[in-house]
Amino acid sequence: MSEYRVTRRSALGSNALRSERICISALPEGHVIQVMGKEGGPDLGAFLSEKIGGGAKFAVRIAAPFQWYVVGDRALSPEETDTMLDTLHPHAAGVDQSHGRVRFQVEGAMVERLLAKGTGTDVSVEAFPVGHSTMTLIGHIAAHVTRVGEHAFEIMVLRGFAESLWDDCARMAQEFT
Amino acid sequence: MASLVPCPHCGMRPKEEFTIKGAAIARPGSHADANEWMDYVYLRNNPLGTYDEYWHHTSGCRRWLVVTRDTGTHEISASCDVTVAVKTGVAA
Amino acid sequence: MTSYRLDERGLIDRHTKLPFTFDGKHMTGFSGDSLASALLANGQQLVGRSFKYHRPRGILTAGAAEPNALFTVGRGGRTEPNTRATMQELYRDLEAKSQNRWPSLEFDIGSLNSILSPFLSAGFYYKTFMWPSALWEKLYEPLIRRAAGLGTASYERDPDAYEKCWAHCDLLIIGAGPAGLAAALAAGRAKARVIVVDEHAAAGGTLLWETATIGGNLAADFVTQTLEELRSLRNVRVMTRATAFGSYDGNVFGVLERVQKHVPEPVSQKPVERIWRIATKVALLATGTEERPLVFGGNDVPGVMMATAMRAYLNRYGVAPGRRTAIFTTNDSGYVLARDLESAGVNLVAIIDSRAGSTFPYGGKARVLRGAVVTDARGGRLLSSIDVSFGRRSENLKVDSLAMTGGFSPIIHLACHRGGKPRWSDERSAFLAPETTRGIMLAGAADATDGLAGCLANGAARGAAIAQELGFRPFPFEPGIVEGDVPAAPARPLWSIPGVKGKAFVDFQNDVHRKDITLAVKEGYGHVEHAKRYTTNGMATDQGKLSNINAVGLLADARGVAPAAVGTTTFRPFYTPVSFGALTGAHTEGHFQPIRKSPLHEWAKKNGAVFVEAGLWYRSSWFPRRDEATWRQSVDREVRNVRANVGLCDVSMLGKIEICGKDAAEFLNRVYANAFLKLPVGKARYGLMLREDGMIYDDGTTSRLDDGRFFMTTTTAYAAGVMNHLEFCSQALWPELDVRLASVTDQWAQMAIAGPKSRTIVQKIVDEEISNGSFPFLGAKEVSLFGGQLRGRLFRISFSGELAYELAVPAGYGESVADALMEAGSEHGIQPYGVEALSVLRIEKGHVTHNEINGTVVPADLGMGKMVSATKQDFVGKAMVSREGLVSPDRLRLVGVKPVDPRASFRSGSHILTKGAAETLENDQGYVTSSAFSPHVGSTIGLALVRRGPERYGEEVVVWNGLSKEFTPARLCDPLFVDPENEKLHV
Ligand SMILES: [Zn+2]
Repeated sequence: MSEYRVTRRSALGSNALRSERICISALPEGHVIQVMGKEGGPDLGAFLSEKIGGGAKFAVRIAAPFQWYVVGDRALSPEETDTMLDTLHPHAAGVDQSHGRVRFQVEGAMVERLLAKGTGTDVSVEAFPVGHSTMTLIGHIAAHVTRVGEHAFEIMVLRGFAESLWDDCARMAQEFT
Repeated sequence: MASLVPCPHCGMRPKEEFTIKGAAIARPGSHADANEWMDYVYLRNNPLGTYDEYWHHTSGCRRWLVVTRDTGTHEISASCDVTVAVKTGVAA
Repeated sequence: MTSYRLDERGLIDRHTKLPFTFDGKHMTGFSGDSLASALLANGQQLVGRSFKYHRPRGILTAGAAEPNALFTVGRGGRTEPNTRATMQELYRDLEAKSQNRWPSLEFDIGSLNSILSPFLSAGFYYKTFMWPSALWEKLYEPLIRRAAGLGTASYERDPDAYEKCWAHCDLLIIGAGPAGLAAALAAGRAKARVIVVDEHAAAGGTLLWETATIGGNLAADFVTQTLEELRSLRNVRVMTRATAFGSYDGNVFGVLERVQKHVPEPVSQKPVERIWRIATKVALLATGTEERPLVFGGNDVPGVMMATAMRAYLNRYGVAPGRRTAIFTTNDSGYVLARDLESAGVNLVAIIDSRAGSTFPYGGKARVLRGAVVTDARGGRLLSSIDVSFGRRSENLKVDSLAMTGGFSPIIHLACHRGGKPRWSDERSAFLAPETTRGIMLAGAADATDGLAGCLANGAARGAAIAQELGFRPFPFEPGIVEGDVPAAPARPLWSIPGVKGKAFVDFQNDVHRKDITLAVKEGYGHVEHAKRYTTNGMATDQGKLSNINAVGLLADARGVAPAAVGTTTFRPFYTPVSFGALTGAHTEGHFQPIRKSPLHEWAKKNGAVFVEAGLWYRSSWFPRRDEATWRQSVDREVRNVRANVGLCDVSMLGKIEICGKDAAEFLNRVYANAFLKLPVGKARYGLMLREDGMIYDDGTTSRLDDGRFFMTTTTAYAAGVMNHLEFCSQALWPELDVRLASVTDQWAQMAIAGPKSRTIVQKIVDEEISNGSFPFLGAKEVSLFGGQLRGRLFRISFSGELAYELAVPAGYGESVADALMEAGSEHGIQPYGVEALSVLRIEKGHVTHNEINGTVVPADLGMGKMVSATKQDFVGKAMVSREGLVSPDRLRLVGVKPVDPRASFRSGSHILTKGAAETLENDQGYVTSSAFSPHVGSTIGLALVRRGPERYGEEVVVWNGLSKEFTPARLCDPLFVDPENEKLHV
């Protein structure tokens, strides 16, 4: 069936919710590589940023101790993914999560108030500066949160929960729209 | 029960992000006798005072921690990564 | 109806009139009124009937402690019972109804209880309803419940939204009165992150009715200026209508914000109530004091009111208490009220001061009776007179309103919620906060400070000190000179008033009077916790805010000890009632729990799936066709089609874990009971995971993709648990192993293609050769699909017992690939099948799930004893799995079971009895764990755990369903109902 054209369905489509004080928008399903370093091993942040993150801003995020996500808007071919994973060797093991994690962005003046409805993590800019990442519960769903601007956060969530978390965020945003 | 639990990696987090396994006690070696295993699997102290427990930061960094909690006041006096605890002998 | 509204005075907006109804009566108030002040202004002194004796009751307080003025407010789904009129802001067209009266407030039949009162004394319920116990359910409980007579909740759906929210700060200040505001300014100017919460509609606390001036400004103007400055500070947040209801571990405070309880029509974008969880470094309780009632006869007659409340109604709302007023006081605060009443033109008849030696320089017109007490208040629905006794004389004074003040108790609830015990201070005649409060400090009147100037200074100092302690540079704040204040130093408390004739109430809401307390002591229930339960004092929705201290005092008097020896009952959250709506928050209906969707969800949907919730997942349970009337018809068809042709099932929900690292194989060898060290690359193996106690924890297949890379599947139900467990094993048990774990459940869409024709179809889309020779049973490899468009992982594993494959593709492509398979299979009769058919197929093959692996089962019980490695040095469960009790031949073990008569059926959970045995627990032989109708066998079949099961194949037994009293003759058999030699797997 090589004539059959395989198509890709995105988890959130091109959903967006826009208002003056809050915007929520789906981000491209590009690539997400989970990098697992050696326990007690070196900080691979700089290495990853240079070697596979392409030096892009916020391309490398801390996922957990000795673990990182390398994230980008561009979808990779299997070969490109292989090359990336090979580059990691032997410093770390990599797992392709490009389909398993879905990203969306929440931004606007009320963004901290919105997130505070879901997470017990202090998201004030003093405690959670630009570039900082963490895993936390938003409502009942665990998500990876990165501050990408003074009033902008990126949320990365398991694909199966993406729609549900989106709905929750849209509901939390209601009073600001 | 504590409302906020300090994670050495993530900072203060609500307890909902964690899973508790119970007493942080060392697993017997493979040559341990039946009594040791019975103690490990079934026997627990129930002290009034400080208690070391395994907590998993399930919805956070997914690290297992040893959290030292006062069962009387619920105050948490220490929280460290389990690998650190094993090295320093807290849980081993 | 007469108006009690004064022409001047108050912080109400006289230009905005608000119509409202009370028990259907039309009334009018002003914007800025509370429901209580509006009722009083309308001359509505009678607002309710008491709980037990149905006595007429009036508004007693102006705050959170109100025990009497509890109304049902709103209508339809917005009906809210037990709303305190003192806390409810008036809004246009508010509907309030009184409670606990029948047929009407004015005429209440239940008041006959008053005549029966000798029978309704303390412990009445215990004594009367003890016997016979059979009557409890049918008679006593319904009676008591009906008599309880608080408001009735609505059965209608609540149309409003609620939510929860977190906040973080350096300093949480609870109470925006003088001390709280001063502290907020001091800490806020020092740049600390400050949150101020106040339960009232407006910040200011007592300043809102204070007549003293601060730095030459009116107290109310001081509030306005202070709030302006606080609101200009980015690091300060002031929240009104926000009650701190609980203090929790980690210095987290629960705060209920009433966002839209003061508006006629809440907007749907906002919640009506919001629960804040505020995590703070330090909390400062600037909660003020609670004024104590005095326990004289008839102290509950409408018209009797707390002195501070009377002052609040007078100064804040411009409402006069009556035409002829008296004040009964034990301390100097009574004279401040006297001054304000007289300056407002209220006819003050007398001040009754219990202190013989009082020397307060009162210069007003009213009579001052020193060393005097009010023994009884008289009147029915409204106060008509009071009996005053002084020395040996007594006198009856005609009054329609009476203020009472028995002193002040610091409000320390939140300082005690984490277990601290209040301590009695003789000097202050009050219970003060515990010695150690862990992260909580007190300020102002709550901190036993007297007077406005004192509270302002104390608050400012506390705020500055806390800021400094937290590392901020303090900033001086001088509130200015206070003029016209009368600090009321604590006076000797007056617990027992001599000469009382009528009922003297201690707990207004629960109708506990003085004699109940003394009776409790007499009958041996003098301990404060016993007395509480015996008399129900302090057990109403106000939790004894007014009554507990008097109960303690009276218990102390009756027992002849000091209040310190009596102590207090335990303080627990909530400080005031919190609605279920707020506690539930946003997680209702569609948002009750997250919905987890498979990447094949849309594929299943367009193929007509009926979904079932499995944990958080939505799984396709079957795919009905137009001509099928019942689900069984659909499932039977799907099952037959898999056995005859081929079916496609979404198995994306299986947990999938990638295990990498050079010690990955060794790690698997230790977490599984069977061997994995030598699993070849390109092969899958069934694995059994045990708990340390030897019981089976989970099962699944694990494939070796590479030397140091494995792909594990777990059951859907235990996916999360297994991941936690593996992380525990790698981090806590064997950190020396180089192993790294990644959950890839969501990365892959996984589908089972099962049936004799599956290879033909799968081969159509897989680029590599997958004949039996090149890709035999238990093969596992990465494959190229659709001429290199895609890469997937193909596993030759089977849950149905048929020739079958599981194909995993990146999740986003799942639907497209499933579509292609359906297209490729259409000429071979491919049909989608759901979890119901999957379940039938696996029962027919005797494959187990968590129905069988239910925590009581070891591998040998399932006939898998041989799988457990005898040679591995260690694995989880090794030490315990061969314990004596777990190897006994008498254990329940897996068998098949089918009815003797194929038309008969039985259900899972039914028990097995030996034929002819009586249905007793002793005769229990085991139970059916799974059952289904098998189209292949042509009858119901089941899997069961039965004593010595495998030794009893062929034995006739009885399947006993004790719930529906069914007895089904059945036969035990090999659990392999289809293809017992497993030949189909290897074709
Ligand atoms: Zn953590």
